[in-house]
Amino acid sequence: MTESSGSKLLNGEACQRTLRGKNAGKNGFVKNHCVFEHPRKYRRPTERSQNAAPNSSLYKKPFSESFEETPLLVAVLTYMGYGILTIFGYFRDFLRHWNIEKCHIAHEREQQKDFVPLYQDFENFYTRNLYMRIRDNWNRPICSVPGAKVDLVERVTHNYNWTFEHTGKVVKDVINMGSYNYLGFAENAGACASAAIETTHAYGVGVASTRCEIGNLDIHEELEQLVARFLGVESSMAFGMGFATNSMNIPALTGKGCLILSDELNHASLVLGARLSGSTIRVFKHNNMQSLEKLLRDAIAHGQPRTHRPWKKILIVVEGIYSMEGSIVRLPEVIALKKRYKAYLYLDEAHSIGALGPNGRGVVDYFGLDPKDVDIMMGTFTKSFGAAGGYIGGRKELIDYLRCHSHSALYATSMSPPVAQQIISSMKIIMGEDGSTLGKDRLRQLSENTTYFRRKLREMGFIIYGNDDSPVVPLMLYMPAKIGAFGREMLKRNIGTVVVGFPATPIIESRARFCVSAAHTREMLDTALRAIGEVGDLLQLKYSRRERPLSTPGWTSDESLLQD
Amino acid sequence: MNVGTAHSEVNPNTRVMNSRGMWLSYTLSIGLLHHILLSIPFVSVPVVWTLTNMIHNLCMYLLLHTVKGTPFQTPDQGKARLLTHWEQMDYGVQFTASQRVSYLLTSFYTKYDRVHFVVNTVSLLTVLIPKLPQLHGVRIFGINKY
Repeated sequence: MTESSGSKLLNGEACQRTLRGKNAGKNGFVKNHCVFEHPRKYRRPTERSQNAAPNSSLYKKPFSESFEETPLLVAVLTYMGYGILTIFGYFRDFLRHWNIEKCHIAHEREQQKDFVPLYQDFENFYTRNLYMRIRDNWNRPICSVPGAKVDLVERVTHNYNWTFEHTGKVVKDVINMGSYNYLGFAENAGACASAAIETTHAYGVGVASTRCEIGNLDIHEELEQLVARFLGVESSMAFGMGFATNSMNIPALTGKGCLILSDELNHASLVLGARLSGSTIRVFKHNNMQSLEKLLRDAIAHGQPRTHRPWKKILIVVEGIYSMEGSIVRLPEVIALKKRYKAYLYLDEAHSIGALGPNGRGVVDYFGLDPKDVDIMMGTFTKSFGAAGGYIGGRKELIDYLRCHSHSALYATSMSPPVAQQIISSMKIIMGEDGSTLGKDRLRQLSENTTYFRRKLREMGFIIYGNDDSPVVPLMLYMPAKIGAFGREMLKRNIGTVVVGFPATPIIESRARFCVSAAHTREMLDTALRAIGEVGDLLQLKYSRRERPLSTPGWTSDESLLQD
Repeated sequence: MNVGTAHSEVNPNTRVMNSRGMWLSYTLSIGLLHHILLSIPFVSVPVVWTLTNMIHNLCMYLLLHTVKGTPFQTPDQGKARLLTHWEQMDYGVQFTASQRVSYLLTSFYTKYDRVHFVVNTVSLLTVLIPKLPQLHGVRIFGINKY
């Protein structure tokens, strides 16, 4: 059923893959399913399932992603929830206006009532009426290293989250399902930490200058050569901050007269960099190769908007793993498109470097492609390396150009030496150059943990988004009240999670996002899964309408991963 | 609190009306309003229909054409602060279809009584006219400018 549309890229009509379910096929459900799933004969809930059907020859292994669609009842209840909250918000604002209720939020002084207002108080509506009520789920202060377990500062509020007080106690050993600690390098003991301490003794902590002035240390040069070797590119450059890597370097690469084709769900740093550059930006649907191809063809055929001159360059900007969806970019197809239409590719591997691929070299390694096909490989050291900062890798001419023209190189202070040393040590461990098998063990542990965690959550009946191999696991909550409830209930069971809702996500798609780590042991994952199961039953979060295997007698952790 | 970090849409308000299930929720809420009005004992059926039509159009007018800006700070330096929700949206035609249905149903149920007809037509026009593309950003008499 799916293999029949193994046609060329151009034949967009053959596969009706669309996003967000609005035109999901004429008979009500998406025609294309995952390569492994057999055709269904009865009506199933619609799924936006992404698969490799049209170009399965480009993929060496099956690409299975799924984004199960929101059940309609849940969507209606979610809107009702927001409606009720809005009505109560207006009611509370009315009470505050007439001084029946105390107003905690900043308001203008009496003397300034005749001035033009500095802020629109409607812009604050969401913050004061919705966000404040569940604010205790975010910005929780932690007081230990954010490894597999973390210590939280206990805080109480006496006025419904407007102010917090620290009780002085510490909540110890909370299982950390929120930190981007994919390979477990966020630790304060071990080879990386000792090397970083020695480097602090040698270089100090601050650099006090930019790379272009006198802040270019030999440890930076060593780091850059190592990163280039790790990625398989000619040369690379490291920056002190991951967000700034994107936002300061895209303006150096493109300008007016260039076209940036950016994915719908790109991170704010990429969007900011694209906007700062002054190029024309066109957005294609998330991970949708037909949409991208159509944009490419239109751009090349019509040229720039009014003058119809050819574009100076076309840059396709995608991410390796999209952290809010857990999806992996369809890199083989993007590279095929790029080569065919002669565009450049900017790949942001913030979450995928170190976390994907048999050798941990990121999404290029995961698909078994040649790193030289990607023109600009960008990534961050924050997630899998336990440090901070970002890098850009590519051809030598490109990196030499960036060394002179990037805002970050000219104006931003260079990376701190102990941080650079942490990256060097952790990268050597991942590559296996420190002589031990620690890197390989961690990579394997991460991949096993990911598979296990995702499979168990699916079996329990939750709606999980994303690719089966991605360590980022978004679990759908949908309703606004469940965002707060989930975060709090998980904390009561000693598990720290990150929840996110509107307006950071689309209005009905609030979610809890788990980040699986190599540092999590099987027992920790089981504890977490048990707690998630309890909370799921309590809050009725098990929305999935797929088939579940009938015999799931609790879940024993000693069943083999390979039987699936 | 971050706006739009999970996607590259700087103003999520533009996409709210396109979300899944919005149309169904809208229809259900109108149905609910109608039922509540129907349960008031001393009001006759034609008056109830007129009332439903009027209240629906009034709420629609307030929510879409009076309230301006966004309930959260967007990272686009406030481009949408002076725009009503309708102007922020991408000119969806769905809602004018519902106006027409509501108007036709009301006309039918009020048995084309003249007073009701006038009231309903005026109410419909107050909601239809601001949706015309010629009136994008227009503020008559400076009402609702800031």
